[in-house]
Amino acid sequence: MTINHHPSDETLLRLATGALGAGPALVIRVHLEGCSVCRERLTRFEAVGGTIIDEMRLAPLAADLFGRTMERLESMPSTLVTEPGPRKQPDLGIELPHAMRHCEIGPWRWLGPGFKWSKVKIAGSPHAKVMMLKGKAGLYLPAHGHTGMEFMQILSGSLSDERSQYFPGDLDEADDEVNHRPVVGEKSDCVCLAALEGDTRLHGFLGRLLRPIVGF
Amino acid sequence: MNEGIQKEVLPSPVELIRLLDAVARAQDRKAFAQLFAYFAPRVKGFLIRTGLAESVAEEVTQEVMIAVWRKASYFDPSRAGASTWVFTIARNQRIDRLRRTRSRTADHLLDLSDEPDTPPSGEDIMIMAEREEEVRKALATLSNEQATIVKLSFFSEAPHSEIARELGIPLGTVKSRVRLALNRLRTLLDRDI
Repeated sequence: MTINHHPSDETLLRLATGALGAGPALVIRVHLEGCSVCRERLTRFEAVGGTIIDEMRLAPLAADLFGRTMERLESMPSTLVTEPGPRKQPDLGIELPHAMRHCEIGPWRWLGPGFKWSKVKIAGSPHAKVMMLKGKAGLYLPAHGHTGMEFMQILSGSLSDERSQYFPGDLDEADDEVNHRPVVGEKSDCVCLAALEGDTRLHGFLGRLLRPIVGF
Repeated sequence: MNEGIQKEVLPSPVELIRLLDAVARAQDRKAFAQLFAYFAPRVKGFLIRTGLAESVAEEVTQEVMIAVWRKASYFDPSRAGASTWVFTIARNQRIDRLRRTRSRTADHLLDLSDEPDTPPSGEDIMIMAEREEEVRKALATLSNEQATIVKLSFFSEAPHSEIARELGIPLGTVKSRVRLALNRLRTLLDRDI
């Protein structure tokens, strides 16, 4: 699989620093699963964080902090709580990425002719604006812009817009300067995972269509 | 920066890896005490620098060190150096605290799922150490302004306004300066991807 569209350096840096919101972070983690180049880039940005820790000015600690920490450790069970099993997820007709295994995912719901969506909830981040979208082959999505960043990862099928074509594994970032009209490829239905950053809203008909149904 | 502490003998990156390994394999308390002495004051300093109140920073530091103890077996020295790994734990614990939730987030769960399958070879660790060394060199090669931009990005949720203040440049030009700094960092880091 050749990946042609990657997250920007800014986005990977924000993931590394922890400044990227939970929704966009999930979409980027899904991209990272299939993209070793971006995994390597993220590791390098995280290594900058390691350097910052090494060079950090030392803060004085309470004298008994180490003792209290050891006490807490002794009162804990010796084994690490194992990861809870993946959530039961509805059959959406595609294999979901590993990074989404703890998300609460809704069934496909009708959004328009040949156009469906599924709500994706992230534990601990109830306000994250994340969803999966599914369009049938050849569908023209309504033209739209965004008040902020939109992150979209193709899970299956393909999409194209005025800027480029996107295939499985591709990650598209669209900022407030992008106005686009995505079209689903002719060969098969397209499923993508999309997140809007913070209070980003969609302009135009798509925004008016989504807002009352999806809630953003 | 740390004039006061440069006199003490700081553990080398290799030594930090050895200490984490001793914690992972044998719950070695002496090794943990050394890790605590090295990382706890730095992690707390980092957390304060990101804007946490002193008392909160200390609580989160304790949580970070507890996670270091409990997750030591998940540390994979072929992927990251000890300081980088501790940084990611501090970052995640800080996010958790800010999200005001006690439930573990996806980020943590991802960490847990990444237990190394096979012990890394000496060669793997050397490759990682070289990579981390390159990152250090790249940072040192950046201009002061560019290094400041990159570092401020680690301290602030909305670094652009802080960058504007720190560098005395208009907010409108920050975006392009950040882009320039990251492009430069990328050319330095990408040499051998």
